[in-house]
Amino acid sequence: MPALRELQLAFVASMFDESDAVRAHVREEGMSAEARLGIYRNNLREGFIKALALGFPVIERLGGTDYFRQRALEYLAAHPSRSGNLHYIGAQFAPFLARKFAGTQYAYFADVAALEWAYQEAQVAADADALSPEAFANVAAEDYERLTFEFHPACHFVQSRYPIVKIWRANQPETLSDEVIDLDAGGDNVLVLRTPECVELHRLPAARFALFDALNRGEDLGTALERGEALESGFDFGAALRHLVELRILTTLRVPALST
Amino acid sequence: MNEALRAGIGLRAIHHREVIARGPAVGWFEAHSENYFARGGSPREVLVGVRRNYPLSLHGVGLSIGSTDPLDATHLAEIVRLTRELEPMLVSEHLCWGSVGGRFTNDLLPLPYTEEALSHMVSRVSQAQDALGRQMLIENVSSYLQFEHSQIDEWDFLAELARQSGCGLLLDVNNVYVSAMNHGLDALRFLNGIPHEAVREMHLAGHSIHTVGGREIRIDTHSAPVCDDVWSLYSAALERFGPVPTLIEWDSEIPALDVLVEEAHKADRALETHHARAA
Repeated sequence: MPALRELQLAFVASMFDESDAVRAHVREEGMSAEARLGIYRNNLREGFIKALALGFPVIERLGGTDYFRQRALEYLAAHPSRSGNLHYIGAQFAPFLARKFAGTQYAYFADVAALEWAYQEAQVAADADALSPEAFANVAAEDYERLTFEFHPACHFVQSRYPIVKIWRANQPETLSDEVIDLDAGGDNVLVLRTPECVELHRLPAARFALFDALNRGEDLGTALERGEALESGFDFGAALRHLVELRILTTLRVPALST
Repeated sequence: MNEALRAGIGLRAIHHREVIARGPAVGWFEAHSENYFARGGSPREVLVGVRRNYPLSLHGVGLSIGSTDPLDATHLAEIVRLTRELEPMLVSEHLCWGSVGGRFTNDLLPLPYTEEALSHMVSRVSQAQDALGRQMLIENVSSYLQFEHSQIDEWDFLAELARQSGCGLLLDVNNVYVSAMNHGLDALRFLNGIPHEAVREMHLAGHSIHTVGGREIRIDTHSAPVCDDVWSLYSAALERFGPVPTLIEWDSEIPALDVLVEEAHKADRALETHHARAA
């Protein structure tokens, strides 16, 4: 009699690895062990495809149902689920597509998938209160460049050389369109954020995106502003900072003590 | 009638807005715990809103409690957190496993019914109940195969698990029917083998019939109305276990909210008939 662990390892191997070691332990009862295991293998595949499609509806629409199923099965083989929470199955999909389609006409799929993953992550992120504009009132002028911030946990920054927001919008149920999109029409710098009502996608100018993204990664305001200035001559950082505050995505402001 | 003794329905994302806006006439709601692990955002807000107005049950589908991998401490901690926050009337998991060696099928796989598996389940359920600080219910699953070395009948396995771990049982009447049909077992014998006092909740669901290798097999798809045979078996279960909280489960090809509510009312009528007879 196989030990429970041995049985479970053999069973899972028959689900993922075409191994047949578990067959001997399955009662045939009018149906072959292989057919019985096939039901579970089918449940696993169909459940995985369905869950992945829920998270990446734009990729599914771009590729079509059959195409998506094939990519999902390849992805399942390379990245089986590592959690009892199906939310996480999409975590590696964008990098998987990037490797698969590097240098091909489908290279933009990876960036669209990265946007869809950021969208999913934004949906489930923790709640947090936005910093009030008054928080800046007590900051001394000479401290501004050393300020660091924490962003709302739902914020994500996605950058692409393709017009991914336009692609995303043309493939949403509410705004479905068959418009032909020129992939070389310019890329998008996208801030994904969550309002109390919904997840929103904001396209930002490159310099503003570089500033916000650097702050989100924990750089201080002085360093982050230089990143914006490097991308745009005459960068209006006053306007950029007002925009940042108006978006209500900052949650904490810190003035680090001067090191002596 | 006590609210929880009217039938409940599963809380599903496509009905979120409508459930909050309309407050449908059902006894209670059951949520899949994993769908609400999120720390914020709107699904979570909906669940908190539902909890304000209805009794709630948290039903886990991903803990893989019967796996021989170490119990996933993070996953369990999320269930504990949700349970403390929402104080549901019931918390449940399945008599199954779904992963080993870190690979997850995200399915409810059957265990072999052996002494080893029983003592493993007793220890795992005890571990989960200790973390929760309360009783957990364990549900029987639908299965499409049995293991050669199983030595214990499924109902005896469930009964012993309940006795040794102190867990309650969630009797899924559809799963009893599906497994009985698939394995040529007597569904009534299954019911009669379950200790009367252990059953704290029942599930009703629809399944589908497929032909595999020339043989008919029933698959637990939760994609259809409850079939007549399962309604009959439910009457027999009410007869044996009394009126326990009953849930209509419908998870794929989910119909309009009203269709679910009507199925729940059908279960209410069976519960009322039983009450009238008991009175």
